[in-house]
Amino acid sequence: MPPANGGYMVAAYVAAAVIYLSYSAWLYWRSRGR
Amino acid sequence: MTATASAERALRRGGVLMAVGLLMVAGVYVRALLFTPEEATQGLAQKIFYIHAPSAWVALYLAYGIVGIFSVLYLFLRDPRLDLLASSSAEVGTVFATVVLVTGPIWGKTIWGAWWTWDARLTSTLFLYFIYLAYLVLRSAVEEPGRRARYSAVLGILGALLVPFIHMTVYLFRTLHPMPVVLQPGRPRVPGAMLVTILYSFLAFTVFYFGLLWRRYAWARLAAARAQGDAEGGADATR
Amino acid sequence: MRSVLGQAWAIAAKDLLLEFRSRTAFLSALVFTALVLAIFNFARDPTAVSSVDLAPSVLWITFSFAGVLGLNRAFSLEKENRTIDGLLLSPASRTALYLGKALANLVFVGAVEAIALPLFALFFNVPLLDVLGPLVLVIALATVGFVAVGTLMSSMAVNTRFGEMMLLVLVLPFLITPVSTAAEMTAKLFAHRPFAEWAPWLKLLGAYDITFVVLCTLVFEFTLEE
Repeated sequence: MPPANGGYMVAAYVAAAVIYLSYSAWLYWRSRGR
Repeated sequence: MTATASAERALRRGGVLMAVGLLMVAGVYVRALLFTPEEATQGLAQKIFYIHAPSAWVALYLAYGIVGIFSVLYLFLRDPRLDLLASSSAEVGTVFATVVLVTGPIWGKTIWGAWWTWDARLTSTLFLYFIYLAYLVLRSAVEEPGRRARYSAVLGILGALLVPFIHMTVYLFRTLHPMPVVLQPGRPRVPGAMLVTILYSFLAFTVFYFGLLWRRYAWARLAAARAQGDAEGGADATR
Repeated sequence: MRSVLGQAWAIAAKDLLLEFRSRTAFLSALVFTALVLAIFNFARDPTAVSSVDLAPSVLWITFSFAGVLGLNRAFSLEKENRTIDGLLLSPASRTALYLGKALANLVFVGAVEAIALPLFALFFNVPLLDVLGPLVLVIALATVGFVAVGTLMSSMAVNTRFGEMMLLVLVLPFLITPVSTAAEMTAKLFAHRPFAEWAPWLKLLGAYDITFVVLCTLVFEFTLEE
């Protein structure tokens, strides 16, 4: 019976998504610029 | 075609590749979470691997490799675009390294019972992170573009040569230094479905990296081109 | 036409003479060393952690920080009055300039270490004399690696906005290999372990030194204005 660590998985997936999306969004909008 | 127009075109294309990469990464999420079997002994947390491992490949090898190569090229050829590419890769690489250092300990906690155990790959990533940060801080501390490019290239090359030494140092500690007894992370058996997910996730994150790199580089070139064009100097995007 | 080494020695001698006259950096490094040693000694619980276990780490932390203090000195000297221009205009080659600065740093840091080591043995009660020879070798090798990279970095850091903070940030990643391998070897030496046990570390440190001394010498000219 595998350990119940789904919460960690969610945390990691969400954290990665936040980091990647934030950077992508920042990059996209800042580079549209003037 | 003028430098500005060329950079603007690159910006658009970079944006497209970014979007494609982002979609592919979203695909990894879907595939890993919904269509990949759970590993028998490690539980759901093992799936962190599909985000963590490709990010590590990009941060440790791909992105920094490009920083190193283009740093060397810059010192030989002195084309400012080479410097812009190296620095763009450093910035994007740092983002990927951040994800590695965040997802790693979370995964580690479930395998080792501790957030940090000086595991070989995470430790190497941490030290590489210091180099990335040093590179970015250095660039922000030098205003004159020519000197900034030269200094960055010097650090880029030194850092690239440092990476193997970091790996060897960490390896020596792992094999010769008595380590606390921890659970060994089980290597996932790789049934077909998992293998496909692994391969696909590496591809997706690689494409995503190139999309970000291209966009970042195009932005840097655009800012440089505008700075050249303006009488009084331009935007601050050439970092 | 003087040889590169001759020029390097001349530059080093100039630096060392200047430092000897003012002695500020040297004294700061020594005071810092004594302070660290004292704090570590008072702050720990002697029943919980034995000195011998703690000693190598403390020693190398001390050496690292004192070393960085010394490195700052190398090019900030020149920045004051833009005397770097004089050096660049002189017949001395860029390589000689680097070697000279590195040599001065080596002597400086070496002097601090030479004084700190007996102080350290005093505070921590470690079997220094038994292993003095190999220990000096280890310290020398680690210092060479540290100074080689540090001299290069200080040449850049002095021209940046953040100055000394920048030097620390630049140098830190490069300290990992020399300091951790040296600390490990120091620990093994104090525990009287056989050479075979610490030989791999020695090889790694040696390889690091060769790689970075050569690399830094080659790359130094790019840190100077054309």
